Amino acid sequence: MAELKLTAVSKSFNTQAGVITALSCVDLTIKEGEFLCVVGPSGCGKSTLLNLIAGLEFPDQGRLLLDDSEITGPAADRVLIFQEPALFPWLSVIDNVAFGLKMQGGAKQHRTARAMELLDLVHLSAFRSSWIHQLSGGMRQRVALARALALEPAVLLMDEPFAALDAQTRDMLHEELEMLWQKTGKTIVFITHNVREAVRLGTRVLLMSADSGKFVKEYPINLPRNRHLEDVELVKIASVIRDDLKEVVATASGRKGCPNG
Amino acid sequence: MAKRGNPAISRAHALPSYSRKNSSRVQTIGIRLLFFTFLFILWQTLFALKIWNEMLFPGPLEVITTAVAVLQDGSMATAVLASLKRLITGYGISVAVGIPLGLIMGRNRLIDETFGTLALGLQALPSICWLPLAILWFGLNEIAICFVVIMGSVMAISLAVRDGVRGLSPLLLRAARVLGADGASFYIHVLFPAALPSVVTGARLGWSFAWRSLMAAELLYGTVGLGSTLSMGRELHDMGLVVATMLIIIAIGLIADRLLFGGMDTLIRARWGTER
Repeated sequence: MAELKLTAVSKSFNTQAGVITALSCVDLTIKEGEFLCVVGPSGCGKSTLLNLIAGLEFPDQGRLLLDDSEITGPAADRVLIFQEPALFPWLSVIDNVAFGLKMQGGAKQHRTARAMELLDLVHLSAFRSSWIHQLSGGMRQRVALARALALEPAVLLMDEPFAALDAQTRDMLHEELEMLWQKTGKTIVFITHNVREAVRLGTRVLLMSADSGKFVKEYPINLPRNRHLEDVELVKIASVIRDDLKEVVATASGRKGCPNG
Repeated sequence: MAKRGNPAISRAHALPSYSRKNSSRVQTIGIRLLFFTFLFILWQTLFALKIWNEMLFPGPLEVITTAVAVLQDGSMATAVLASLKRLITGYGISVAVGIPLGLIMGRNRLIDETFGTLALGLQALPSICWLPLAILWFGLNEIAICFVVIMGSVMAISLAVRDGVRGLSPLLLRAARVLGADGASFYIHVLFPAALPSVVTGARLGWSFAWRSLMAAELLYGTVGLGSTLSMGRELHDMGLVVATMLIIIAIGLIADRLLFGGMDTLIRARWGTER
């Protein structure tokens, strides 16, 4: 079981520009095995959602539950992957993948075997002894994915993981992630500002408003797998969402002009 | 898949080939050799011209003869060993205290604002200024000298490590937390290795500060050691001994730097990549 439940979650930040509402009274249930994609304008609070679920930040109000137990901090059942791979340069590829297991105190033999399995899964076993700076951007992100999966998390949290990659590499990683998800049945929460990417991957897409900290729309995606970015149906749905996104951005900038903003 | 990855690896190999690297290395060594031969000849010529009193300006041959003599009769070895013993004790303590202190200062605001500021202030004081106090506190003994060595190097080490920790990518540290690193294992398995380039820089700086502090302390406080061999040479008007000792001090400094930190440099360059 891995069901995430957010009830009336609010979170805001004090910045130099004033108080910014990242999340405002958000209710959300993410079912086990779901691939949820969240899109929205930049700076709208998408990453805050993931940081809260990961336990790196705490809500001002409301509760976050994973299978009915409160989230109180980072744990191996929820692993976050960032836009930058954030790999450890002092460790080889395989030791990076095994890092989480080492923190859990697993036996060395078991750690290495498990890390090898995961490197196989992301097709990088040939690079197990390489240093991080020797890998390309796409390879690094795959190592980060393997490193997260090594902990066998119930929920995989991905914060624009492919945003810094070129289109070709991104295509390839979409395929790999889709396959991984089908194989493992993990719950994935995936944040992106790329609407087509969201439709390409998700079973459900949520659209977030620009500055009110709420989800404004929800789109179930029932397209057959495996999908391609160029699929006609996919492009159609994406264009609907993109129009809604434009509207969200427009209302937000309109609101900024209002003195009561 | 491996094929697709290969360009990244082959790029790394597309550096200047080894033979070209080697020939430029030979050239550099040749230039250095020429320069130092020139210096040596200049020295000998100036000496032969007898512009200055022989007592004040020894010739290279006299220095070499003295160096060979003190190396052979074992008096230099005794002095070197005595100095190295103090250096290793004092520097060892500096490293053992300075690195953890630097790691903690880099992470903890309160500690940084208190101890960090103190370290920064004390850094402005040449460590030899501690000698009078040290002699009053500990007596005229080894502990006093070690204290001066420690005060000379511990601040430099901890401040360099602190700066290194401060410069780490916050994302890297968050990733480590997400993967379950916390408490002591966060310091041991993440913070220390992540800051390793700065740790090595700090340790290296600390080493040269410790070496300087030790020589200053030994010059002022006469006991067996390289610094006191220098004082002795002055008192005996044995300029050959003075210059020979100076050369040996330089040699030890260079060799120790190579031995202790050369390997670390190679390791860091291999792991972090040459672009850093």
